[in-house]
Amino acid sequence: MKKVLVLGASGNIAPYVTPDLEKDYDLYLSDIVPHPDGKPIINVDITSYPDVLEVCRGMDAIMNFAVLRDDPVISFEVSTKGAYHVMKAAAELGIKKVVHTGPQSIRHAYDHEFDLDDVPLAPGVGYYGITKYLSMEICEIFSRTYDIQTVCFLFNGLGPKPTEAAQGDFPPFTVVWEDLQHACRLALEIESVPGNFQSFNLLSYFAQGKYQVEKAKRMLGFTPMGGLEDYFRRVTD
Amino acid sequence: MNILITGASSRLAQAIATELKDDHTVRLMDSVPVDVAEGCDFIQGNILDPDDSWEAVRGIDTLIHTGEPPTDLPSDKLKREQMLLDLATRGTHVLFSAGVAAGIKKFICASTLSIFNAYPNDVYVTELWKPLPSPEIVEMTKYLGELTAREFAREHLVTVTGLRLGELVLEEAVQGEAPNLAWLDIRDAAGAFRCVLNRDSSNSAWWTQRWAVYHICADIPNPKFLIDQAQGIGYQPTHDFQSLYLNTADS
Repeated sequence: MKKVLVLGASGNIAPYVTPDLEKDYDLYLSDIVPHPDGKPIINVDITSYPDVLEVCRGMDAIMNFAVLRDDPVISFEVSTKGAYHVMKAAAELGIKKVVHTGPQSIRHAYDHEFDLDDVPLAPGVGYYGITKYLSMEICEIFSRTYDIQTVCFLFNGLGPKPTEAAQGDFPPFTVVWEDLQHACRLALEIESVPGNFQSFNLLSYFAQGKYQVEKAKRMLGFTPMGGLEDYFRRVTD
Repeated sequence: MNILITGASSRLAQAIATELKDDHTVRLMDSVPVDVAEGCDFIQGNILDPDDSWEAVRGIDTLIHTGEPPTDLPSDKLKREQMLLDLATRGTHVLFSAGVAAGIKKFICASTLSIFNAYPNDVYVTELWKPLPSPEIVEMTKYLGELTAREFAREHLVTVTGLRLGELVLEEAVQGEAPNLAWLDIRDAAGAFRCVLNRDSSNSAWWTQRWAVYHICADIPNPKFLIDQAQGIGYQPTHDFQSLYLNTADS
């Protein structure tokens, strides 16, 4: 069973991913705060390289979900320097798989466009966007140099799949838990990606024609569950 | 023009100050004490500190961010790497944010041609080529600093010019060495900063005009790094390392 370190395991993303993965992977959950479901947490401060290096020993893969969004100092410490520590440790220890994440705001400049899939990063200077943007550049640099296969998922919202009809439009650039779990499995299992680093849109609703996942389908084999727009249909008698 | 030059303790900053001080009012900044050229002001402060940056940019028309680190970097390798990363990313962000808040319209940011070292020598590299920086900390952080600076042109009505500098040397100091395709005499580097001082696209609606990047190195025979774009804005290097190339040809 692959040993997978999960950084930011108590945050807004990982607790919705790891329950599905733990039956097939030997997960090591780490964070600086307790897990919301009370699961054992390895206390790791991603801003400390010795901490990161130590917890990475023996791992086959690293999933970095650690992020801090809008603080002028800590956003750089966690999102940018943290990513540097992760990739430096992966390089030093010979770990060949990293899963990274980023937000919609890293290509803020395209917010008014459509059919968005694999567009260049254009974050502007907001702390969340630019710190994650720089983190992705760091990931790409290390991946290219040390042959680390790094998959980066981009999404804006994360939530449960709907269970009843809603009156209103569906949330943009949002992925449901099951689709994210599916994508993370694909990322952990794929042997390689072109250039050693690739980022992928992840979302579960498509009818708006705004964000697409064709690249994830093509390169990763991502197959979103689909049909979720049906919960957002307007009643027309 | 009132000009702020960061990284005052570096050879680059001092060369730029020497180049500009007779025609402009020059203020230099560094986190360590520096004896600056006569006629220049000096302000001691750390670009990572918003108050220091704010104090440094007040009254400034053009900000030249050399990206050169202070001389008191930690001796511990990891701490040094972390500090360089901090300075290039957050430091550039703090400094440029202060500059924008202070009304500065023109920013010049130094980067490096070493981000193209991964390409073989049998190609001509221009500004159109994708940078392929390595994780070597100075090279990588220079690139990250350039990217950080570029985003300010995307988001604000300011002109940001990136100068990707070759390997800084003094021509007379490398006599007898094998020629290097990226060599750039530090005096010519300083001249390149003068060339872009008046570039002003701050009112352009297109961010692609507010941002520009130029490759800066010596004008050598059979170059790898083409400098046509820089020559188009008046860059005329005078140190061409000709004697070294002639010696090579002789041998």
